[in-house]
Amino acid sequence: MTTNEREAVLAMLNSAHVTEPTRRALLERLDARHGREFFDEAEFGRLRALAVRLVPHDPAEMDLTGTVDHRLIVGIGDGWRYADALPDGEAYRELLASLPEGFETLDGDAQDAVIPAVQSSHSHTFEDLLAELTEAFMAHPLTQYRFGYAGFADAPEWPHVGPNELEPREVAYGPQ
Amino acid sequence: MAPSNSLPTDLDVLVIGTGAGGAPLLARLAQAGLKVAALEAGVRHPPEGIATDEVAQLGLFWTDERLSAGNDPVGFGRNNSGRGVGGSTLHYTAYTPRAQPDDLKLRTEFGQGEDWPLEFSELEPYYDELEYFLGVSGPADYPWGPQRRRAYRHPPLPLNGAARLMQKACAEIGMRTSPAANAALSRPQEQEGYGTRHTCTNRGFCQAGCSIGAKASMDVTFLALAEAHGAQIVDGAQVTALTMRDGRVTGAEFMRGQELEHLSAKTVILAAGAVETPRLLLMNGLANSSGQVGRNFMAHVGMQVWGQVEDDLRPYKGIPGGLISEDTHRVPGLIGGYLLQSLGVMPVTYATQYARGTLKWGPELIQHLGGYNHVAGINVLGECLPYEHNYLELSDELDGRGLPKPRIHFSFGENEKKMNAHAEALMRDLWGRIGARDVWALPRAAHTLGTARMGADPETSVVNPFGRTHDIENLWICDNSTFTSSLSVNPALTQMALSLRTADALIGELKN
Repeated sequence: MTTNEREAVLAMLNSAHVTEPTRRALLERLDARHGREFFDEAEFGRLRALAVRLVPHDPAEMDLTGTVDHRLIVGIGDGWRYADALPDGEAYRELLASLPEGFETLDGDAQDAVIPAVQSSHSHTFEDLLAELTEAFMAHPLTQYRFGYAGFADAPEWPHVGPNELEPREVAYGPQ
Repeated sequence: MAPSNSLPTDLDVLVIGTGAGGAPLLARLAQAGLKVAALEAGVRHPPEGIATDEVAQLGLFWTDERLSAGNDPVGFGRNNSGRGVGGSTLHYTAYTPRAQPDDLKLRTEFGQGEDWPLEFSELEPYYDELEYFLGVSGPADYPWGPQRRRAYRHPPLPLNGAARLMQKACAEIGMRTSPAANAALSRPQEQEGYGTRHTCTNRGFCQAGCSIGAKASMDVTFLALAEAHGAQIVDGAQVTALTMRDGRVTGAEFMRGQELEHLSAKTVILAAGAVETPRLLLMNGLANSSGQVGRNFMAHVGMQVWGQVEDDLRPYKGIPGGLISEDTHRVPGLIGGYLLQSLGVMPVTYATQYARGTLKWGPELIQHLGGYNHVAGINVLGECLPYEHNYLELSDELDGRGLPKPRIHFSFGENEKKMNAHAEALMRDLWGRIGARDVWALPRAAHTLGTARMGADPETSVVNPFGRTHDIENLWICDNSTFTSSLSVNPALTQMALSLRTADALIGELKN
C-alpha cells in the first residue's frame, strides 16, 4: 500500500460521506492482522502460498490467510455447507494436505500447474475456499479503492442512479 | 414498560419468530387486545447501527450451519435466511409483487403441482391493506394481474443502470416492462410506533439492511405497531422445544445466553421459517400425523445473468430490483412461469457469486472483479414444483446447543430445468442487445418454502387453510413452510397477507 493510497482511503473513510458504523468496520479491516491460530505453521504457509495464486494479493497489505484462520477460530460460518463435505476447517486441512510436497517453495507457474488437480479432487472445498478468499479480498478497503468502488460513502444519499451519473466523490475515488 | 429481560405471564398467544410470518399477526393480535409476546432468536438491528458493508452485516443472517444435499444443493445464510428482530425482512430487497390468481391453481390449470386451499379473492383485501400500510412504491398502472382497487401509495423509485438497460433490451423484443413494486419509500411516511420513515436514499444495500428505515422491514412497521399496542418481543431467545400437555401445546422452552427458560401461552404460533419450523416439529415429534413435516421443500428458480458494459453503472446505487416484467408468467411448454427483474448488486455478493459460479481464479478473477462498477444483472424468479425428492430431515450432526443440524435435499426437476434453460436463453439474448461483455449465468435457487404445507386434507398437509395444525388444536404455523406451491413471485407480500388472515381467523375464534 503506497502512502498515497492509504491517505486517500483514510480521507474518504473519515469524511462525512461515511456513516459511523461503516467507518468503524472499514477502519478496523484496513489494518487487521490476525496471524495464525487454527492452522499449524506448515499448513498456514501452504494456505498463504495457495491464496496468493488463487486471489493474487500482497499478504503484507491484506491478511487474507489470517482472515480465514481467524474465522475458523471464531467458528462463525456462512450458514451452510455441502452435506458431503467435512466441516470447513477439516476440509481445508485435507485440501492443503493434498498439495504436492514443497508446494509453497515452487515458483508461481509451477504452483498454478498443480492447482487444477486439487480443484477437481476437492471440488466443493476448493469452491468454498476460493469464495472465502474472494470475499476477504473484495471487502478490503484497499481493493475497493483500487477498483474505484465508493459505495460505502453513501451519506447523505445518492441523488442520481442512472448510468454515468456520478457524484464528484465517486469520480475522485480510486487510481486516476 | 417492563424491562426487556423480564418475561411476560398469562399470555394469550406466543409467537415464535418475528419475520414476515410472525410480525403482522403479532401486531393484529395486540391491536385486538390480546396479550401477546414473540420469541426471536436474533437480536435487534436498529437502522442507525447498520453499516454499508456486507461483512459487517453478517449478523443479520442465520449462520448456524445447515447441510445442503441433492443435485442442486441450496446455499443458506446470506442467500435466504435471516436472523434478528424482523427476520428475513431485514435483508429482503422489499420486492413486493402480488401473486396472480392462477398461481394459486396450478393443478387445476396444468394437472401438476398443487392448488392452494384458498382463493385469490381472500388474499386481495390483505394485499391492498399491506401495500398501503407498508408504503409500497410502484407504478400508477401495473400491467399484470387483476385491476387493483387503488394505486400504490407512493410513486415508483428511480430506475438504476441495470433497470434502464433491461428496459431498453426488452423494448427491442416487444416485452412489456414496468417499474417494480418495492416496499421502500419514495416519499416519507409516518409509521405508528416508529415515527417518520424517511425517503429511500438510493443506497442499494437493502440486502445488508436499511440504515434509514425507508425499507418496510418488520422492525420499523408491524413490530413497532405491535409494541405500541403492548406486545412484548423477547430477543436473543432461541427456541429449543415446544412443551405439551394432554395433546395441547403449553408454551416453548428457549435459551437466552446460557440460560434455559420457558414461556407459557394458551396458543402458540410457529413462525420460524421453512427450515427452523419443520426442524423444531421433527425434533419434538409434533404435528406430523400426515408424515408431511419437512416434505415438499421448494426454492424458486432464480437464474441470474450478468455482464459488463461500457457505461459506468455503479450497481450499488438504487433499489436493486427496479424493473419487472411478468410477460413470462406463462410460457408454452412450462408448468407455471416466471417473472423477470433487473438486478443491482453489492460488491462482495457479486464477487463471491462470480467465484463460485465460474470458478475463475488468478489474474483472470481479479481483472473481472475490477470491472465491478460496470456490472449489470438480470434475473428470474420462477415456479418450483413440490417433489418427493426434495425434503428436510434431521441429521446426526449436532449444533452448538446439542440439537441436530437439518439436512436439506434439493434437486431441480424437469420443469425447473426447462425453465432455467428458457430463462437463460432469454436473458442472454437481452444482455446481448445491450452490448454486455463477459456475460455469465448463475443457476441458483431462491427462498425456502413448503415444509409444513397448507391444505384441506389432514392426510396430505400439516396445517388447515388458516394455518392451524391439523393435529394440535392450539398450535398454528404462519411462515413460508405453509406455502402449498411456490408461486411465481417473491413470497414476502403473500406471507404477510397470510399472516393477517391467520390473525383474523384466530381473533374470530377466540371471541366465540
